[in-house]
Amino acid sequence: MNTIRFERRATSDARRSAAFRVLGAVAGILVAGLVLLITSRNPFTLLGDAFDANFGSQRGLEETAIYATPILLNGLAVALSLRMKIWNIGADGQFLMGAWAATGVGIHWAGPDPLVLLVMALVGAAAGAAWILIPALARAYWGVNEIITTLLLNFVALQLVLWATLGFWRDTKSAVVQSAPPVSANLPVFPGLDFLHIGFIAPLVLTAVLWWVFRSSTWGFEIDTIGGNPRAAAFAGINVPVRIVLVMLCTGAIAGLSGMIHLSGYAFRLNGGISTNYGLSGFIVAALAGGSFIGLLVGGLFIASMLHAGITLQAKGLSTYIILAIYGAILLGIAIGEVAARYRMVRERYDPATEAVR
Amino acid sequence: MNAEAPGAQNAVEASGITKSFGGALALDGVDLTLAWGEVHALLGENGAGKTTLSNIIAGIYRADAGRVVVDGVEHQFRNPAQAIAAGIGMVHQHFRLVAPMSVAENLHLGSPQTPRLVTEKILVARARALMDELGLHVDPTAKIWQLSVGEQQRVEILRVLSRGARVLILDEPTAVLTAQEAHDLFGVMRQLVAAGRTVVFISHKLNEVLEVSDRITVLRGGRHVVTRDTAGATARGLARLMTGEERELDVTHRRIDGSAVLTLAGVSARNSRGLIALSQCDLVVRGGEIVGVAGVSGNGQTELAEVITGLRPLEGGTITVDGTDLTNASARQIAAAGVGHIPEDRIGVGMVSSAPVKDNAVLRHYRTDELSAGKQLKRTAVVRFAERLVAAARVQTRSVHTPAGQMSGGNQQRLVAHREALVGRRLLIAAHPTRGLDVLATQEVQSALIARRDDGAGVLLISDDLDEVLLMSDRIAVMYEGRIMGMFDRGDADRARIGLLMGGHAEEAFAP
Ligand SMILES: Nc1ncnc2c1ncn2[C@@H]1O[C@H](COP(=O)(O)OP(=O)(O)O)[C@@H](O)[C@H]1O
Ligand SMILES: [Mg+2]
Repeated sequence: MNTIRFERRATSDARRSAAFRVLGAVAGILVAGLVLLITSRNPFTLLGDAFDANFGSQRGLEETAIYATPILLNGLAVALSLRMKIWNIGADGQFLMGAWAATGVGIHWAGPDPLVLLVMALVGAAAGAAWILIPALARAYWGVNEIITTLLLNFVALQLVLWATLGFWRDTKSAVVQSAPPVSANLPVFPGLDFLHIGFIAPLVLTAVLWWVFRSSTWGFEIDTIGGNPRAAAFAGINVPVRIVLVMLCTGAIAGLSGMIHLSGYAFRLNGGISTNYGLSGFIVAALAGGSFIGLLVGGLFIASMLHAGITLQAKGLSTYIILAIYGAILLGIAIGEVAARYRMVRERYDPATEAVR
Repeated sequence: MNAEAPGAQNAVEASGITKSFGGALALDGVDLTLAWGEVHALLGENGAGKTTLSNIIAGIYRADAGRVVVDGVEHQFRNPAQAIAAGIGMVHQHFRLVAPMSVAENLHLGSPQTPRLVTEKILVARARALMDELGLHVDPTAKIWQLSVGEQQRVEILRVLSRGARVLILDEPTAVLTAQEAHDLFGVMRQLVAAGRTVVFISHKLNEVLEVSDRITVLRGGRHVVTRDTAGATARGLARLMTGEERELDVTHRRIDGSAVLTLAGVSARNSRGLIALSQCDLVVRGGEIVGVAGVSGNGQTELAEVITGLRPLEGGTITVDGTDLTNASARQIAAAGVGHIPEDRIGVGMVSSAPVKDNAVLRHYRTDELSAGKQLKRTAVVRFAERLVAAARVQTRSVHTPAGQMSGGNQQRLVAHREALVGRRLLIAAHPTRGLDVLATQEVQSALIARRDDGAGVLLISDDLDEVLLMSDRIAVMYEGRIMGMFDRGDADRARIGLLMGGHAEEAFAP
């Protein structure tokens, strides 16, 4: 009789791990297809429609890139803190605060567009950073778990935005009742394109910057050292609490900037629903990418195209629940692939005759 | 030793055990026979295959080839539960207890004999009964985290015995124990074999093996070298069998009157729990000498190393290195002044296990001009630096890109020791630098310290092994409860007096 056992591999290999994640995504898509078959829909036409929605038209591509922008920025924020083994669950809150603060500038000041946008970006990033300041200090100096503090501040941020949009910033001039007035300056669209704003450059540039920082700079080296063993980092002379605060502030600033870009490039006015879980999606991408910034770029674009296809399929009559189930199957497939890459199968010969009777 | 008479079968007969890990042969046709009622020492250098062999006998690994016969019945264990059902239990180098739970709860966790419906009271009563039966006692209501390492080990042993183990394998049990705790453990081992059980005692410490075992099996490089009675064996002969070569460390002691590299004046500090750990310590280390700090662990030695290297703030006093005041300077400034530190907890403090060997190699040097320009790391220079260090320290690793945690403990220690020797141009603080190392690796690290001294650096050697302090030091300081109780030139140091001071008996030690 043969038995099969799983053995943890001694080494991890980035390429094997990436391949397994792709396999996992494919397996997830196959499972989703089966579910669709069972519910007597044709998965091939739907897959075709989904593909068409994203890649069939220039508009599809542009919309996907628009969704990808906040997802990627939030994902980068989470991934940066993850290099330090710190979980910033509050990207959504920082995103909202970035959008909130940028709104404050944008609705009260109608100066020259570039100047207004620049100030909005700075204020948005600062607001995101401020929103993580207390969790950062608490984590760095008193060891307070940042998962809980950053998560709880998400709810506070949402209430603040609702308060502003239903109260003191409520747009009384137009029919849009639950929203602030439009901001005075909008991000320009790429020349030659119809929808995609230039904010899409931000995640691409930031990915490149972070990739370089962690590949070839002493900053990245120090952050990775803190992530690997904070006591060894202190031993090597790195001021660990200060670094924790600085890195957490950076992640907050990135998420805040993401809120400002989404506001001025796509939503144009603040309302309670401005973040359709972009923080959560970013978090999922970062967690699945496992600290790799290139993996994050690929994963973020993939999730954005999934979301976009979902909206198109919804328009074709597929229920939201089935779409969510499909997302779930694909993400689960990727997560399983990520874990499976760390194990290998061992087949063993096993002879029951020699097994003692006891 | 094969008794043929029925009823007197051996406890375990393992033969031809072969095991390889991904192509590397860890065990090559090893035989091991354990009689009932003996303490059987398994002796060998790090990497000799002791743990692997034990894991196979205890059902944790499966052998590629070979037979395991327990009490006359051949077994092919597929998991530890089957081995324990056959009466074989193992206590691992790293304990597997649940820290927030009580002793009684830990003893019952995962045991098939634990009643389904149970109260804390029943668990405690059952634990007490078990302890009485075995004559091994730990407070059953105490939480694991409240216990000393020696007591935790006792719980592990109780846990394995409570599952019905009659053959108990202890993997390097003394590595984590103080001398007193080790002595208590030997008492427990003798008691168990007196009751007819068999104990396998894994160690690479020769004097312990000679003290407690009845028979000795020596492994070297995955091969069986010899099995012999302990009676008549000598430490020297066993060391030769373990290492396959004979080497003696050549230490010439000296008296140095040169200028002080390190001066501590009235240094006081608190430990991590806020209690006074160092009070009014004065200490001078000169260039070209090794100053040994003798003392029982936990008398302020750890804090002493930490204040000197900038990892712990001073409460009072001053620290001077080469005439520069470095009182409460940062760890980085102190390293820049040429002070290296082989920390006591090399894995927990001195290394990033998950990071590649190269990152660990440059952990202290990455900001030098050789390795970085501004904020940019010179990546090829980093790899070259690491490769040089690995070669100089004779570290065995597949490459400098593999995670440091995958190397054996001895290789990790060599890497940290040589890296810190590079930092310590002027002064090297070595805290228990040979703890857990085998004979050969110990000598290598000791030679490295002596080489540093001969280059003119000062060395502060902290060790709770008095033999090591006496072997290595030119001068000896004795610590007790955070104070330096006495200072001796090597020539005037006598073991009895140091022993008294280590126990805090100053009057007797200095009595005429
Ligand atoms: N899980 C493992 N994977 C790969 N190699 C291993 C593993 N366990 C042990 N080895 C190798 O097998 C050899 C014997 O190791 P071990 O049994 O731990 O020795 P000892 O306990 O005598 O120090 C060493 O070369 C070690 O590197
Ligand atoms: Mg071992």
